[in-house]
Amino acid sequence: MNTEPLAKCQRFLAALAHMRKLNMQAVAADKHQVTVMLPVQEALQNHQFKTYMHGGVLTTLVDTASSMSTLVALDEYELCPTLDLRIDHMSTPQLSQPLYAQAECYRITRSVLFTRATVYQASLDQPVAYAIATFMRPETGTTDSAFKALIDGTAAGLP
Amino acid sequence: MAQLREIVAHAHQSGDYQPVIEIIPYAKIIGVCCERFGEEMIFRLPKNPDNIGNPTLPAIHGGVIASFMELTAAFELTLQLDQPALAKIIDFSVDYMRAGRDRDTFAICTIERQGRRVGNCSIIAWQDKRSEPIASARAHFLLDSLTALE
Repeated sequence: MNTEPLAKCQRFLAALAHMRKLNMQAVAADKHQVTVMLPVQEALQNHQFKTYMHGGVLTTLVDTASSMSTLVALDEYELCPTLDLRIDHMSTPQLSQPLYAQAECYRITRSVLFTRATVYQASLDQPVAYAIATFMRPETGTTDSAFKALIDGTAAGLP
Repeated sequence: MAQLREIVAHAHQSGDYQPVIEIIPYAKIIGVCCERFGEEMIFRLPKNPDNIGNPTLPAIHGGVIASFMELTAAFELTLQLDQPALAKIIDFSVDYMRAGRDRDTFAICTIERQGRRVGNCSIIAWQDKRSEPIASARAHFLLDSLTALE
């Protein structure tokens, strides 16, 4: 069974339509944390109004990175819905540079997963935003088995 | 920002808010639209296969729902300000209550307080019934962000 964290993250991103649309990339992952990148793209630019930056899309990036930190923290894929998410915006990101989110699942209990994330561009010491989130673990056997196999890399017959 | 004022004024006149929404590229990507009912603006996120974040239910990506709510607040503020400006977000907090199914989602923002510098918003999102929200959120926006950004 292929449980290599980065490959697992990449399979996860590839499986979700919205992630493919934004070309979201997993750039680093181990058991403890993941880093997800949102590349610079023309579709997210408005050259007319240079004052407004990543309205909304930063939230999608943070949600994705936080949920992927639970993916690598758990041995096997579980479909964990988000309970809540809070983001503090500390500075305005530059549209000309990719946006990174590094997330960590710092506590796993029987029912709940706790995560924290930092959004940055040039370096982690210059955060654009901080976020914390909680996820609910599903009851055993409720995760779709075909999708689980796809993410865990155990789906032999699937494309 | 004279241009923004023009776009907002024109939208209020014509009732077509799409040009305002298209100011923010991500709002256009996920497909946000908006309609005015008297004093109330209701924002709509039409069913869109590209917004799926859970293919097994299928359900809308949680980040897309949160972004839609954040954008709802940002547009509501932009449209309600005496001097239209693009408010800058300070913080955002969302509670998810039900899965966002693959269908149309609606959101409405209440400006709880609008001070000189900060706007305090609460947002709810629903699909079937407004009394059964799929998520609720709070956000603070910096209103003097225009000068702060320059």
